[in-house]
Amino acid sequence: MEKVLFAHVDNPQQHRIETYLAAGGYQALPKILREYKPDDVIDLIKKSGLRGRGGAGFPAGMKWSFVPKTSPKPKYLCCNADESEPGTCKDRVLMESDPHLVVEGIIIAAYAIQAHQAFIYIRGEFVFPAARMEQAVEEAYARGYLGKNILGSGYDLDLVVHTGGGAYICGEETALLSSLEGDRGLSRIRPPFPAIEGLYGCPTVVNNVETLANVPLIVNRGVDWFRSHGTEKSPGTKIFSLSGNIKRPGNYEVDLGTPLSYIINELGGGVPDGRTLKAIIPGGSSTPLLLPHQIDTPLDFESVAQAGSMLGSGAIIVIDDGACMVWTAMKLINFYQHESCGKCTPCREGTAWLKQLINRIEDGNGRPGDIDLILDICGNIMGRTICPLGDAAVMPTESIIKLFRNEFEYHIEHKTCLVKTSYPLA
Amino acid sequence: MAENGGNTVTLTIDGRQVTVPKGTTVLEAAQSIGIDIPTFCWHPKLDSIGACRMCLVDIEKMPKPAVSCATEVAQGMVVSTTSDRIVAARKGVLEFLLLNHPLDCPTCDKGGECDLQDITFKYGTDKSRFAFPKLRIIDEHTKTTFDDKRIGPEIIRNMNRCVTCFKCVRFNKEIAGEYDLGAYQRANHTVIDAAPGEQVDNIYSGNVVEICPVGALTNTDWRYKVRVWLTKQADSISPHDADGQNIKLWYDHRRIFRATSRRNDAVDEGWICDLARYGYQFIDSPDRLMSPLIKRQGRQVAATWAEALELVARRFRDIRDKKGSVCIAGLSGGNQSAETMALFNRFFRTVLRSNSVDYRLDYIDLKDGEITEAYNCLYTAPFQIAELEQADAALVFASNFIKEHPIVNLRLRKAVRKSKARLFTANPVETKSADISVDELIYRPDTETAFVVALLHALIDQRLYKNCPDGRAMELQSRLSPSSLTEAAGICGIEVERISSLARQLASAQNPFILAGDYLTASTQRYQIGNALYNLANLLGVPDGKAIILASHADSIGAERVGLRPALSADLAGRLAEAWKEPIPDSTGLNTSQIFRAILDEEIDAVMILGANPAMRYPDGPFVNAALDKLDFLVVADLFETATTAKADVVFPLAGWAEQDGSFVNLEGRQQRFQRALPPKAEIKTGLEIIREIAETMGEPLAGDDAALRNETERLVSSWVRRPRVMDKFYDVKPAPPVGHEGYPYRLLVGNDLHHVGYLTEHCPSLIRFTREPYVELSPSLAARLGVDEAALVRVESTTGRLVLPVRISEQFDGDVVFIPNNFAAVEVNTLVSRDGGGWVKIERLDE
Ligand SMILES: Cc1cc2nc3c(=O)[nH]c(=O)nc-3n(C[C@H](O)[C@H](O)[C@H](O)COP(=O)(O)O)c2cc1C
Ligand code: SF4
Ligand code: FES
Repeated sequence: MEKVLFAHVDNPQQHRIETYLAAGGYQALPKILREYKPDDVIDLIKKSGLRGRGGAGFPAGMKWSFVPKTSPKPKYLCCNADESEPGTCKDRVLMESDPHLVVEGIIIAAYAIQAHQAFIYIRGEFVFPAARMEQAVEEAYARGYLGKNILGSGYDLDLVVHTGGGAYICGEETALLSSLEGDRGLSRIRPPFPAIEGLYGCPTVVNNVETLANVPLIVNRGVDWFRSHGTEKSPGTKIFSLSGNIKRPGNYEVDLGTPLSYIINELGGGVPDGRTLKAIIPGGSSTPLLLPHQIDTPLDFESVAQAGSMLGSGAIIVIDDGACMVWTAMKLINFYQHESCGKCTPCREGTAWLKQLINRIEDGNGRPGDIDLILDICGNIMGRTICPLGDAAVMPTESIIKLFRNEFEYHIEHKTCLVKTSYPLA
Repeated sequence: MAENGGNTVTLTIDGRQVTVPKGTTVLEAAQSIGIDIPTFCWHPKLDSIGACRMCLVDIEKMPKPAVSCATEVAQGMVVSTTSDRIVAARKGVLEFLLLNHPLDCPTCDKGGECDLQDITFKYGTDKSRFAFPKLRIIDEHTKTTFDDKRIGPEIIRNMNRCVTCFKCVRFNKEIAGEYDLGAYQRANHTVIDAAPGEQVDNIYSGNVVEICPVGALTNTDWRYKVRVWLTKQADSISPHDADGQNIKLWYDHRRIFRATSRRNDAVDEGWICDLARYGYQFIDSPDRLMSPLIKRQGRQVAATWAEALELVARRFRDIRDKKGSVCIAGLSGGNQSAETMALFNRFFRTVLRSNSVDYRLDYIDLKDGEITEAYNCLYTAPFQIAELEQADAALVFASNFIKEHPIVNLRLRKAVRKSKARLFTANPVETKSADISVDELIYRPDTETAFVVALLHALIDQRLYKNCPDGRAMELQSRLSPSSLTEAAGICGIEVERISSLARQLASAQNPFILAGDYLTASTQRYQIGNALYNLANLLGVPDGKAIILASHADSIGAERVGLRPALSADLAGRLAEAWKEPIPDSTGLNTSQIFRAILDEEIDAVMILGANPAMRYPDGPFVNAALDKLDFLVVADLFETATTAKADVVFPLAGWAEQDGSFVNLEGRQQRFQRALPPKAEIKTGLEIIREIAETMGEPLAGDDAALRNETERLVSSWVRRPRVMDKFYDVKPAPPVGHEGYPYRLLVGNDLHHVGYLTEHCPSLIRFTREPYVELSPSLAARLGVDEAALVRVESTTGRLVLPVRISEQFDGDVVFIPNNFAAVEVNTLVSRDGGGWVKIERLDE
């Protein structure tokens, strides 16, 4: 299968602008500035069918078109590089190995929405990727791809690399904007949507790193080429981060619509010998689980949704029969509780209560009725929060209980795991 | 029925149709027809953040419940606030909020007025499914749990009770522009706390206590004193500033327990400053004067009312009849009720037959012959606080705004934040408005006139003036002194380009405002600056009500309107004579400084002072004290013994504003009534009683009861006429030459501390917690030159006096300007100042 985003992932020099240029980099940008009006770029991306790779799969071109053209306010573009969803580690590799691809994508997207200031918001722990991006931005300035009058086109753009403080919530677009403004990273109610009132109250587009990295490729090689990958509604390729009980974990780029089994078994080599597959988290830790019989589900937005889960950010976490599902649920809820921003009541209080209950069951102190209480609390969080973090905590929890209720019941009754796991559990 | 096209929207809530303006939230639409939706994080004056999720409603065609506080109405919307899903959602949110809540209602001071209590009662359940120990985080530093941490001089935080609505933090940031309070940590470990190394001590700090929906923020003032349901409320007005903050006093038969806001959108929008909130406390001070005093053989001793009244009546009659009525003068503080001032005025003019009455006791009036028209016109301008919201530019000049006019300041902040008004400030020191100012100009002390003249030149040079033919402008320019922009700018020490740019921005504004304050009022150049400002407003075409010199006291404008000033307009004199059915005496009345001068010249023998302390506050200590000492007969009515009562032959214990009904007229000319909360204690009498009883004892009682007086005052206040500003009139401006101050290099500003006003607030324990003692405030650079650190003792000396004070170093001060508050009886700061503008001092370090 053709690698496009990862075409140069194995070249240790690819991060340097000379290498990027030699490999055909920065050819999309001059073409755009010369031949495309901003609206034409939006049209092109709309036609390509490119969908957001940050989790929600929202059509990128459509998002850009929401930016009001007549607004006198400045417009902003933010590249979301906060990548903190457990299991997800694709943006990091893109930024480390091919930072100029991301920068070029940012410049084109900024041009499309006529922003003159763009930001890359990188999670604080990403010291190395941030350094790579900084260097790329510097090189791009030096060569006139950024700054005033880019390539003589009259278009100006400044790009700032901003590192966050290391909070999962700052990947959520409105919290990202609050954080970028210097405030606490708390999510905000929508509407207004960022495209209308985002950073400093001005129209703002937030796109994921991988989404933006696709843009120069689409410009260079065309819509038809892009659509030759993936499915009708989910065109293109996608980087999947494969982790968990798998022989060969890692990032794999495949066409959207590739069956899950191909990634797990062919690319990942399947679960360790002697183990059997128990469940799969298909799209990052906030998505409901799939069962082994669903392993042939094609990995595109529609098919995964049809199977009862979500493609999300494309982080596939494989769980084999050695894992206790109560423990799994506990690890997940502990994460979400820790990362709740604390702004809205259901998420702040609900995740904390869930954590207490699930930990109690895991610790062998569960009580009869706890499982239904958990589900009831989940119901009081789901759909009642400001941002989807609350839902993200609930979805895997509910799903695990629904699929593996017997393990919870066993825990409560016998004060120990039904599954005797042999993994070192941290 | 209203259709989409217009500015209204019609929707259905719980089966009832309602039509509301576009942009209304679903919550407010529901409220407008009496449908109750519970809320925690919503506040009518704060931006909605949709955080608590208590206000969820179902809206047809929306898959998820929506937050009504942040959802705008739409035409044809169908809303349910009572669906099963919503009832369950509310129970869910309440259950969450109560998980770790201590339920210590019996000992919580919010009990009885707590939103969490009320909403739980109405919408919650009485059972908890939470079977864990309640979360109690141990404070790293104090090793205590979250109970009761003092985060400001008055504010105590109990984090266990917090519902994390962020109202407190949002108020600070959105409304007050203060950052001394914040939210820290994350998830359910979120804490509300003072900023690191800081205290929550901004002048609006008490508002966060009031808007906290639970008992997480309480104040010392109210804690553990009374249960709210045992108190009664009186509508009142803060007596400490001219803005007219509407407050409510909470009291029982013994005492007042607190003051809270009483939202009036025309004035304060429900926010009050700490002086309004805690400034009632002097009423309950144990130091109050409790009985009349009479001076016998040089010592004041307690006397009965009969003795004291008899003595005053006899002496007044003697002096009036033997020496002449021009030998008696009356002075009243600017925060007596309008009714009291009206009666005082009448007593002086009809019984004592003297026109020498005044309320302007805290600035030096000028020599005779000064043209005061322009100044008076601006001082009484028909300004409306709420109109500031429509401003697109404002110049705040010669005013430490936040301090002098806390409410006007908030409205200006709102104009900047919400309507993007461009604010410019020009002052001798930095103010706290830097964060919202486009430019903050600092002129050299005493160069107010030069500053305005520079602006006038800049307007004329650039031909930016309105409503004025070129010839007129040229002619005006030729009569200005200093005579050019460069010269004037040089004098005030501001770059020419900044003044030119200010002129351009004011001239290009559609709706500019010009507001001036106490640095102007206190200046000996007051009338010259007034002339210059008048010209400025006219050249810019600023309408009458939008250029104003703001009054300083709660009832300054009331005093103007009831005529408590020596010279009266013909109209007012006529109406007063008609009301009193007696002619106004035709002698010339003297103003405050003329009165003191006349005492020294032995032309005035007797003075009556009502609720004022000129011995400490009049900005020429040596002069005023010499005059008061020289007086033959001094009568003072006040709440406390003061430097002034100490000199009196007779002292009357005076009731405070909360002990009587009355009204104040704020700087807009808005008359606002206040109600009595408590009767005056035993021997204390109100100003009205004192005046009436003196008149009666003199055998010349004042006709009419209090109701008649109230009507008369209302009529005077409401029918008061003023000559409007004449838009094409200009005044000559000739600033007096600066006074020499050889050997005294530092300019001393004297005024109110940030947390005090006048000489009464020293008797308010809560305010004392903010500032306990006097100090001299100076710039870091001056401190360095003097070699002093914070709190070091220095000697401050002028030609007339010297004081020893601790140093306070302030970033807001630059160079050689220093400040000393005159709110503390311990130091009579006015001994350092003299009447010809000599406010210059030298400072020396005291070596231990
Ligand atoms: C709790 C939470 C965390 C998120 N974290 C990220 C993230 O780390 N990176 C990211 O690109 N999007 C993240 N998102 C999604 C963003 O809100 C947003 O949808 C995305 O950046 C849009 O970009 P796209 O349209 O290119 O996918 C997160 C969303 C939620 C609710
Ligand atoms: S302290 Fe009070 S006002 Fe502040 S967040 Fe907590 S409950 Fe709200
Ligand atoms: S009142 Fe609407 S969410 Fe709090």
